[in-house]
Amino acid sequence: MVKTPRSPSGPGEPVPEPLRAGATVLEVLDEGGANRRIRVRVEGWPGFAAGQFVMIGAGPVMAAPRTDPLLPRPMAIYREIDGSGSPDLEILFKVGGRGTALLSEARAGDVVSLVGPLGTPFPGAIPGEQAILVGGGTGVASIYQLARERTRVRDGSVSVLFGARSAGDLMGVDDFEALDAVAVSIATEDGSRGSSGLVTDLLAAALADGIDSSRARVYACGPVGMMRRAAEVAKTHGIGCVVSLENHMACGFGVCLGCAAPLSAGGFGLVCREGPVFDAEAVAWEGLP
Amino acid sequence: MTRSAELLPENVDSAVDLAGIPLRNPVLTASGTFGYGAEFSPFLDLTRIGGFVAKSLTLEPRFGNPPPRIAEAPSALLNAISLENVGVEAFVREKLPALPEGVTIIASIFETSIEGYGEVAKRLTGVPRVAGLEVNASCPHVEAGGIEFGQSPSVLAELVRTVRRSTDVPLLVKLSPNVTSISEMAKVCEAEGADGISLINAVQALEVDVETRRPVLANRLGGLSGPAIRPIALRMVWQAAQAVSIPICGIGGIASAEDAVKFLLCGATAVQVGTSNYLNPAVAGEIADGIVAYAARHGFAKVAELTGALLDPVGPPQS
Repeated sequence: MVKTPRSPSGPGEPVPEPLRAGATVLEVLDEGGANRRIRVRVEGWPGFAAGQFVMIGAGPVMAAPRTDPLLPRPMAIYREIDGSGSPDLEILFKVGGRGTALLSEARAGDVVSLVGPLGTPFPGAIPGEQAILVGGGTGVASIYQLARERTRVRDGSVSVLFGARSAGDLMGVDDFEALDAVAVSIATEDGSRGSSGLVTDLLAAALADGIDSSRARVYACGPVGMMRRAAEVAKTHGIGCVVSLENHMACGFGVCLGCAAPLSAGGFGLVCREGPVFDAEAVAWEGLP
Repeated sequence: MTRSAELLPENVDSAVDLAGIPLRNPVLTASGTFGYGAEFSPFLDLTRIGGFVAKSLTLEPRFGNPPPRIAEAPSALLNAISLENVGVEAFVREKLPALPEGVTIIASIFETSIEGYGEVAKRLTGVPRVAGLEVNASCPHVEAGGIEFGQSPSVLAELVRTVRRSTDVPLLVKLSPNVTSISEMAKVCEAEGADGISLINAVQALEVDVETRRPVLANRLGGLSGPAIRPIALRMVWQAAQAVSIPICGIGGIASAEDAVKFLLCGATAVQVGTSNYLNPAVAGEIADGIVAYAARHGFAKVAELTGALLDPVGPPQS
């Protein structure tokens, strides 16, 4: 299989050709509450661009392929553990249903099925970009690599706004804080960490502080309501907003058509292929379930 | 039938003839689960499988249903996509040329009227890469059509007759499982000139979220597919094989070579892999290899000899 060389994310630039592989579980870390961090090794991993995702099997493959739960789960690629080119991937997830519960019980050496990297990545930066990354809940998993790439370029600034219900629901804060020159702010709904309230309130405050709208861009990933509100806040300040949508999907590579999201121009866009990254203006928010 | 010594896989002839369509092996992929083929090229050499049945085509492009379109059920997928497709013209102009040589392509057709089916069939007749047509008479989630065509013997007869008159390419009819007698539907297809039948399509189903007290799919009803329906499909293939002498393409929850062999033994000439393509986009190739390995292990020099080779006191259908 021909592998496209790893490339920085940018519109129209080639993304690595996806592969289907058995991913060997290295470890599953309990990050408190329902939060988990799984580390897997994927031989032949071709690299990825920020914003891409993988389809990962719901629990390890035993003697026979698992049929219940049947479908793999789409999960953002958090990062390559040892940086670009490493075959060891990290994925953050929250235990919700049976699939994620099984995945959380995987042990070192177990093999889970994996297809990826998939999807359209985040667009390239505006020159001198002031990037404001907004992550709600597990949505932060989609934006870590973006923060990493943007800070590496050292052109402009990166701030990250975290939102969660409670301190215990936050994920990855330490990783973001360890990045060079990233300003991290936190909001929790119960006020147990950072400011009390919604992450979109933090965004509104940050933008009201005065920002160069020609160089600023908001990147949001999290619950639909949060992303929609983030887009509205950005728009009132004349700032563009890019969102990373989540949806149920059976395949992840454009054939099941299960992940269609309604578009403002009419019709549907596949979250797996046209997305998961969309310009917020392109999404018909009222039609999302 | 007793078989002698094991054979080497390379000494097994994997080719089959499905209703006049020569296939290098009996593994096809099912319409609606394989896009237009090219989506799978990163994962699977399309010349490793017998061929694929493309997403059902209508005269004009169609959008599908609003979300949610899919849900999970035990060992199954519930979907109501509603035949979203690029339309027959775009398929011929853009999708077919994108496929490598040597890939066997069967086009699936659908319309909301019997005349419409005939027109799509005509448009695809004589198109060089199209090896055969499969009439989707059984889509379980389109209010204006689909289920009605495949559920009434007289409507199905008229549909098959019309499409048969519209084309001389090998013609398969894909049957709905949502009928009282699959044998009767199979006989209707044979009597009206179909070259073969494909079965089963998805099983009509409903799932409900008790917290919201709503159906989980926006369309309410959907089609159930995946391993959960496999024994139902196998039963119907077995029944149809005893009712007709035209070839049968077995479909329903096939996830492994062992699953596929069951359908062949029950009378199928070939099989289609559907939902499993989503879980493992290379699975159809693995199944094709696995069938050959099975044949070799059991001393069958030709994969075609597996068809109807079920050892059963009733006896396999003679065809």
